[in-house]
Amino acid sequence: VCTSRFWFNYRHVANTLSVYRSVKRLGIPDSHIVLMLADDMACNPRNPKPATVFSHKNMELNVYGDDVEVDYRSYEVTVENFLRVLTGRIPPSTPRSKRLLSDDRSNILIYMTGHGGNGFLKFQDSEEITNVELADAFEQMWQKRRYNELLFIIDTCQGASMYERFYSPNIMALASSQVGEDSLSHQPDLGIGVHLMDRYTFYVLEFLEEIHPASQTNMNDLFQVCPKSLCVSTPGHRTDLFQRDPQNVLITDFFGSVRKVEITTETISLDRDLAGFESKIPKDELATETLKYAEQLPVAQIIHQKPKQKDWHPPGGFILGLWALIIMVFFKTYGIKHMKHIF
Amino acid sequence: MAAPLLLVVLVAVTVRAALYRSSLAAFISERVEVASPLNAWKRVVEGLALLDLGVSPYSGAIFHETPLIIYLFHFLIEYAELVFMITDVLTAVALYLAIQDFNKVVFKKQKFLIELDKYAPDVAELIRTPMEMYYIPLKVALFYLLNPYTVMSCVAKSTCAINNTVIAFFILATIKGSSFLSAVFLALATYQSLYPLTLFAPALLYLLQRQFIPIKLKSKSFWLYTMQYAALYLCSLVVIICLSFFLLNSWDFIPSVYGFILSVPDLTPNIGLFWYFFAEMFEHFSLFFVCVFQINVFFYTIPLAIKLKEHPVFFMFVQIAIISIFKSYPTVGDIALYMAFLPVWSHLYRFLRNVFILSCVLIVCSLLFPVLWHLWIYAGSANSNFYYAITLTFNIGQILLISDYFYAFLRREYYLTHGLHLTRQDGTEAMLVLK
Repeated sequence: VCTSRFWFNYRHVANTLSVYRSVKRLGIPDSHIVLMLADDMACNPRNPKPATVFSHKNMELNVYGDDVEVDYRSYEVTVENFLRVLTGRIPPSTPRSKRLLSDDRSNILIYMTGHGGNGFLKFQDSEEITNVELADAFEQMWQKRRYNELLFIIDTCQGASMYERFYSPNIMALASSQVGEDSLSHQPDLGIGVHLMDRYTFYVLEFLEEIHPASQTNMNDLFQVCPKSLCVSTPGHRTDLFQRDPQNVLITDFFGSVRKVEITTETISLDRDLAGFESKIPKDELATETLKYAEQLPVAQIIHQKPKQKDWHPPGGFILGLWALIIMVFFKTYGIKHMKHIF
Repeated sequence: MAAPLLLVVLVAVTVRAALYRSSLAAFISERVEVASPLNAWKRVVEGLALLDLGVSPYSGAIFHETPLIIYLFHFLIEYAELVFMITDVLTAVALYLAIQDFNKVVFKKQKFLIELDKYAPDVAELIRTPMEMYYIPLKVALFYLLNPYTVMSCVAKSTCAINNTVIAFFILATIKGSSFLSAVFLALATYQSLYPLTLFAPALLYLLQRQFIPIKLKSKSFWLYTMQYAALYLCSLVVIICLSFFLLNSWDFIPSVYGFILSVPDLTPNIGLFWYFFAEMFEHFSLFFVCVFQINVFFYTIPLAIKLKEHPVFFMFVQIAIISIFKSYPTVGDIALYMAFLPVWSHLYRFLRNVFILSCVLIVCSLLFPVLWHLWIYAGSANSNFYYAITLTFNIGQILLISDYFYAFLRREYYLTHGLHLTRQDGTEAMLVLK
C-alpha cells in the first residue's frame, strides 16, 4: 500500500512497486496481490522518463515494467477501502481483483509506506489511520479466520508505533524506524529530480534480490537488513505474537509462493479406514486451537452484574443548618409568645 | 371567598392531572418554549442521577439548578408531579391572599386621598368601589392557575414553577408588611434565578410607604430603614449561599448557576432575545454584548423607581414583566406570573389603546411557535430566521402590553388629579401623550 500522493512522494510509489516486483518474481500471482497506489508516477506529467519508475539512481532498475496490475489507484486508496479489504466487509459489487480472498491457511504480507507519525499513518494528505484501528482490523481478520500468519512491514517515520498495539496472534511486524525517529530517503536522482527510494526499502530490495524460490533464508536475516550505520534510523521488529520461532520462518513463506511438491511413482489408495484419521489431529494446529473464540470475549465481566452504586445523601450538617434556619424564620415571624399557648 | 377559590383549585388540579396522564405530557416536556436549559426537568433528573453515581452534578454543562433544588428533589423525586401541582396551587393561593390585602390598601389610600380633596371634582367614574374589587383576587388566582402557559409549564415539570412560587411568597410577605420575611423570600428568589434582585426597589418602596416614611434623600429614617432592609436581604442571601456550599462541599454551583445565567453559553433557541444574537456574533464582541444585554434587564429599575414611587405594586408588576422578557432564558412560565396580575389593573381597561392588536399578536405568536419550530427543525423548509422573527414579534407584543398598561396607569393618575375633561389653553379638548 502506498498512501502518498504528489510528485515529490515518488519514492513511496517506488518502494511499493519494488516490493510488488519481488513478490511477483518469487511466484505470487496478481490474483493474490492487492496493490494500492495513491498516485500515478509513471504517467505523471512531471516524469522526465514516462512509463517508468526507477528504484535506483542511474536508472538501473525499472520497477514499473510491463506487468503491473494496480488494484486501487489514486483516490480509491482511502482508509475505509483499506480496512474493508483487510476485513472483507466489501460491497457485493466489488470485483475479485479488489478483494482479499484469504482463508485461515493463508499467510499474508502487508507492506505499507508513506508519511506517518507516532501512532498514525497519513493517507492521501487528508486522513489518517491509527495504530489502534489497524490492530482492531487485524483482530477482526483473526476472528474471521482470514489469515494463518501475517507479516506486517511498514516504512514511514516512527513506524514502530504502528505495530505497538497489535494484540492478535500470529503477527510479525517490521518497521523502518523507532518512535521518535524519522525514516530517511536514499539518494536523489538528478535526472528525475526527486528521491527515488527510502533507505529501508532500498536495502530490503537489495536483500530480496538475492532470494530465489528455493532459498532457505529465514526471518532473522531480514531483521538484520539495514543496520543503523546504513539507514540512519533503527529498524524495529516485533515477534512476541508469533507462534513460531523467527529462526524457522522462511522468507519465502511470506514473500513467495512456494509449494512443496513431491513426485512419487507409487499409487496411494484413498480407501483406508477413515476411523484412523480422527485420532491424528495435526499438532501444528495449535495456532487455531489453543485460542478459542469464546475465550477472547471477557464473558465473565459481561454477565456479572455490576454492584449497585451507593446513593448520595445530603450531609447531616446541611440538613441541620437548613431546618434550623427555617425554624428561626418561623419563630421570628410568629413570635415566641404564641408558642406559650401551645406548650 | 374560600369556596370559589377551592373550586378553581380543584379544576386546575384536574386539568393538570389529566394532562399528566395523556400523551401530551412527553410532547410538552420537549418544547423549547417551556423548558429552557435552566429549568428543564430532564436536567434535574440527570443531575440527581450523576449525584447517585458519585459525580458532582455541576461537572459538565447539564445541570444548572441550585443546591436547594437538589435537596428538595432528592427526597421528592418520585412525587414530582404532585410537587409541581402543589407549587402551582401555593402560588395561586399566595397571590390570592396578597391581592386581597393589596385591594384593602388601595381602597384605604383612595379614601384618604378623597378626604384630603386631592382628586378633581369630575372623576367620579374613575373611583374604584369595593363592589368591583370584590372578585379581583379570585380572578388573579384563576388567571394564574388556568393560564395555558402555566398548565404547560406544570405538565413539563419545569422548575420555573418553583421560582414563581418563591416570588409569589415574596409578594405576599411584602404586601403583608413583614420586612424580615420579604427580605428572606427575596434572597431565596435571587438565589434561585439572579434577576429578582431588581425587585428589591419596589419592595423597599412599598415597605417605606407602609411605614409612612417619606422618600426624601435627606431623611434619616429613610436611610435607616433602607439600610435595615438591605442588611436583612444581604445577610439572608449570604447565609443561603453558604448553606448551599455545605450540601456538596464545593463552590461549583456558583459558576454553574450564576455564571451560566450571566454569560449565556448555551444558545438553544427559546422565546427570548439572546440566542439568535449570540449565535451569529463574532467571538471578540460577545463579552461586550453579553454585558449590554444583561444591563438591559437591570437598567429600567431606577427610572421606573423615580416615576412610580407612589405606586410600588404596579412597579413590581412592570419589573416582573421586564425580567421575564429580557432575562437570558425566558420560558412561558415566567410570562404566566405577570399575566396573573392583569385583573388587578382591570380598571384601566378604558384607557388601554392596543388591546385588540396585542391579544392578536400574543395569541398568534404563541400558536406559531410550534409551527415554525416544526418547519425549521423537522421539515427543513424554514430556517432560524423564521423562529427568531416570531420570537421578536412575541417580545414586541409583550413590551407593547407593558407600555400600554404603563400609559393607561399614568393617564388615570393624571385624570384623577386634573379632571377628566382636559382642555388646552385655547379651549379645545386635549390629549395626553406619553413622552
